[in-house]
Amino acid sequence: MAANLANIAGSRANPSTLLPLELIDKCIGSRIHAILRSNKEIVGTLLGFDDYVNMVLDDVREYETTAEGRRVNKLERILLNGSNIVMLVPGGEGPEGAAA
Amino acid sequence: MSASGASGHGGAARGHGGSERGHGGADRGHHHQNRPGQSDRNAEKKPKETLFDLARYLDKVMHVKFVGGREASGTLKGYDALLNLVLDCTTELPRGDSDEPTRSEEKRELGLVVCRGPSIVMLCPEGMEPISNPFVSAADGE
Repeated sequence: MAANLANIAGSRANPSTLLPLELIDKCIGSRIHAILRSNKEIVGTLLGFDDYVNMVLDDVREYETTAEGRRVNKLERILLNGSNIVMLVPGGEGPEGAAA
Repeated sequence: MSASGASGHGGAARGHGGSERGHGGADRGHHHQNRPGQSDRNAEKKPKETLFDLARYLDKVMHVKFVGGREASGTLKGYDALLNLVLDCTTELPRGDSDEPTRSEEKRELGLVVCRGPSIVMLCPEGMEPISNPFVSAADGE
């Protein structure tokens, strides 16, 4: 596994840069905060992802920010389509954590 | 639970490696094997060039706009061929257009984030300043 990542880093012209997908790979098993194109944000434990950054998340909270306030939806396990993702915050605790 | 997590880990790592090879040009090498005798050896050796050189902007502050109207700025720490970015000390900025129904909250600190390439609309290195129209004087001269 570690050797695999080293190969990926070595294959680049500039090995000092931090590869985005490599960073997400390191987050597997820990909490991740996904900010979507819409006014939604998803926080969950990352179980895995693919090339499109479709993700399987466990113990999920879905935050929807509206003019009235923030709605929270709890889900057990989801497959999140990568096409809606704008930003990924490793270890992020979501809008509540950021606000605190 | 931990077992399923570990298997997911391995799978994703393989997927990642596959994508790297795909962009590194080894994929083309595969085609080459299928059609021996083609004279594209020079093209094969040359690393695939990206449209713009983000290496110049490493450790520089970048301002990013996304599909859907979100905006963020942070220090560029890494990128890949698909324009996925790693930004450090990132702040999400409130949306400029107030008529958006999903008007964003205040500015907030996110720290180290990964930005998805397919969702990026605009990239602007901080410090870029508007210049006066260089064609105005030329038009006046004529």
